[in-house]
Amino acid sequence: MHPRQGIVTLFSTFIQFDFDRFSRWASDPRLRRSMERRLTQMSSQETSENFWAIYWHKAWLRQPQDLARDHLSAYLQEVCFWATQKTISGFTSTQYTIPDCFQVAISGVDKVLKGFDSNQGFNLKNYASITFSNLIRELLRQRQEVDICSDWALLRKLSQKRLIESLQNAGLDSKTIDRYVLAWNCWKTIYVPDRAGSTRKLSKPDAATWKAIAELYNSEFKGQLPFPASQANPETLEKWLLACVKAARAYLYPNVTSINQPRLGQDSGEIVDNLVGEVDDSLLTDMIASEEAQNRDRQQAQINQVLIEALKALDSQERQLLELYYARQLTQTEMAKELGTKQYNVSRKLSRARQLLLKSLARWSQTNLHISLSSDVLKGISALLEEWLTGYYSRS
Amino acid sequence: MMSDLALFEPTQLILELTDKNINESWQQSQSAATSTSRWQTHLNQVCLKAFLPWLREEQNSRARVWLKGATLSNSWELVNGTAIALANKRLVLVPSEASDLSELRVPQEWVDIPDWTADYYLAVQVNLDDRYIRVWGYCTHQQLKAKGAYDSSDRTYSLAEEELITDLDVLWVAQELCSEEITQAAVAPLPEISSAQAENLLQRLGNPKVLLPRLAVPFSLWGALIQNEAWRDRLAKKRRGVREQVPVLQLLQAGISNLVAELGWQPVEFQPSFVGARSATTESTSAIALAKQLIIAGQSYQLRILPLGNEEERVWRFELRSLVLGGTIPAGFKLRLVTEDLQPFEGNEDVADTAVEQLALEVALEPGEGLIWEIEPTPNNYGREILRF
Repeated sequence: MHPRQGIVTLFSTFIQFDFDRFSRWASDPRLRRSMERRLTQMSSQETSENFWAIYWHKAWLRQPQDLARDHLSAYLQEVCFWATQKTISGFTSTQYTIPDCFQVAISGVDKVLKGFDSNQGFNLKNYASITFSNLIRELLRQRQEVDICSDWALLRKLSQKRLIESLQNAGLDSKTIDRYVLAWNCWKTIYVPDRAGSTRKLSKPDAATWKAIAELYNSEFKGQLPFPASQANPETLEKWLLACVKAARAYLYPNVTSINQPRLGQDSGEIVDNLVGEVDDSLLTDMIASEEAQNRDRQQAQINQVLIEALKALDSQERQLLELYYARQLTQTEMAKELGTKQYNVSRKLSRARQLLLKSLARWSQTNLHISLSSDVLKGISALLEEWLTGYYSRS
Repeated sequence: MMSDLALFEPTQLILELTDKNINESWQQSQSAATSTSRWQTHLNQVCLKAFLPWLREEQNSRARVWLKGATLSNSWELVNGTAIALANKRLVLVPSEASDLSELRVPQEWVDIPDWTADYYLAVQVNLDDRYIRVWGYCTHQQLKAKGAYDSSDRTYSLAEEELITDLDVLWVAQELCSEEITQAAVAPLPEISSAQAENLLQRLGNPKVLLPRLAVPFSLWGALIQNEAWRDRLAKKRRGVREQVPVLQLLQAGISNLVAELGWQPVEFQPSFVGARSATTESTSAIALAKQLIIAGQSYQLRILPLGNEEERVWRFELRSLVLGGTIPAGFKLRLVTEDLQPFEGNEDVADTAVEQLALEVALEPGEGLIWEIEPTPNNYGREILRF
């Protein structure tokens, strides 16, 4: 993959794959125009990519569904690509291809944008890299799980939210989805495993169980469905539940071409210019005029200092663990092997080290930024810490 | 085998499940009313056995389960989730088998019953096949009330993964740095219900054929019923088929009463000197025991409860004998006693290895202690009953 050059390209082009490989950068004309227009508005050309990343992130906060998301999605293509490659390189299985995992990860860009704090965060790319890697690992873990599950075991391993998303993804209407979800809940209530420690090989329920499931459905649907519905028999319920299984499996293996296509060819003069004009450009003027950038730099330098000090206060083994995790991306099992200890100890020590760092950063923010601490604020500080650690260890 | 992928995130807490934990939890779940509540009890039990020791060792040595003993298994009979009390905060573990970690779904009981509300709700994935639990996110009561989606069909509040705090370390740091933070939103009190209403509800919901009792009546009624500990326990016991209590001592002291006949127990006279070494020294005057006639595999037997020795010792003897003249107890029969919350204890079982004259157990009991008897094979019309001493 050849890296992109220039601010306009960075914020308006998308990776195209040729089978399993990177093929080229495709430009989205609407995004290109949008960037060009903003650049010409500025007296001095702002060419720092970080400036634009933060600008679009702020714009996204105002209007999450708008142009800003597309610009940021374009901007984060490379990070996502490398995160994908690095994460799946540990898997020998051929069923995990880069384009496939890349598409799933990039479709989680909202999670990146939601979690990033553009007032305090250092670098959107670092944060995105962590989030994308996590998303891909989660995806692979879930695929491993469902691949070895029987159809019936799979149904127990779904959350209701995931089931609904899968059914929506399969194109079902909301009433059908409600019926399926109720059927699934009845199924789960009646058909529980009868052994202590194994659920993966759950087999198909027998006829008596299907009858009981149908009875439960028929006694519950009047109370639980918000619209008039009719009774269902065991055969219907079995059909519905198998449709749920199919939808859930398909959801984890989306069609690669179906998501996140740049809107190529949508460029037709006026319409596009209108769309581009939707973002309120007072944001841009504000950002250029304010001393925000300087403040941010100063603050980041301070935070950097605080955390470096806090790292020094950890014992050598704790520092070693952080390095193994953040620099070498070892799993806890691998770390345990490397250090000749148990996974349990690794997890405990890592957690202690992170708690100490988190505390240092929280105390510092409380005193110097006059932030009153709460669970939500600490959540933000935790994300900042993860980002910093990733950045720190990838530099050193 | 635990997957490496599951062990990656340092912000999540992964705890291994031992075979011992899983087997014990399964054992302790067997008295549940339905297969649904048995599984619910199992999952909660497994979580608790893994999480509480870790919590005590790593974060808070004084952490304890909010509900104790039988009241805890009674709550699992009715609602998913386990509350743990810290010094001045409460957290609820919400186990789920879902492997996708997309949401935390909390039963309304933990959110809207004033006595039950907690400060923190922890999402716990239970993976029995790979033998681990994973605490992957949490939220406060306030967040759940403010941002959670209420689903009236299954009466839950749910928060999507993005809304949760997915770094568990934040929870412990918050305890230290912002313990004053308001974590609970206001909850309206539930309307009181009369005992007549409660009896009515107990009748209706006490039937284990009502598979989803928590959804069978409006939440205000359900909540009012189960926030009362006595009613909640009666409901759970009724569903499990545990009969009402038998006040053994009272029955013995008061002699024959209507209750005796109703519960199937009869007072009988016995000669203390015949019942074993322990009472051999006492005067051989007759004493009163309680006896119950049982039909097991078509034959008549009698179960007797005899007070032994003097009153301070409070030792009781349980005996199973054949009612057939010269009859014996066939090999394989078991007489067993368990505590009220169905836990075994040392010396709680007598097994007939060969045909024997009687099966017998002797136990010393504290005043007010309760026991449940069990026999294998199960007698006709058997229902668990708590004998109160």
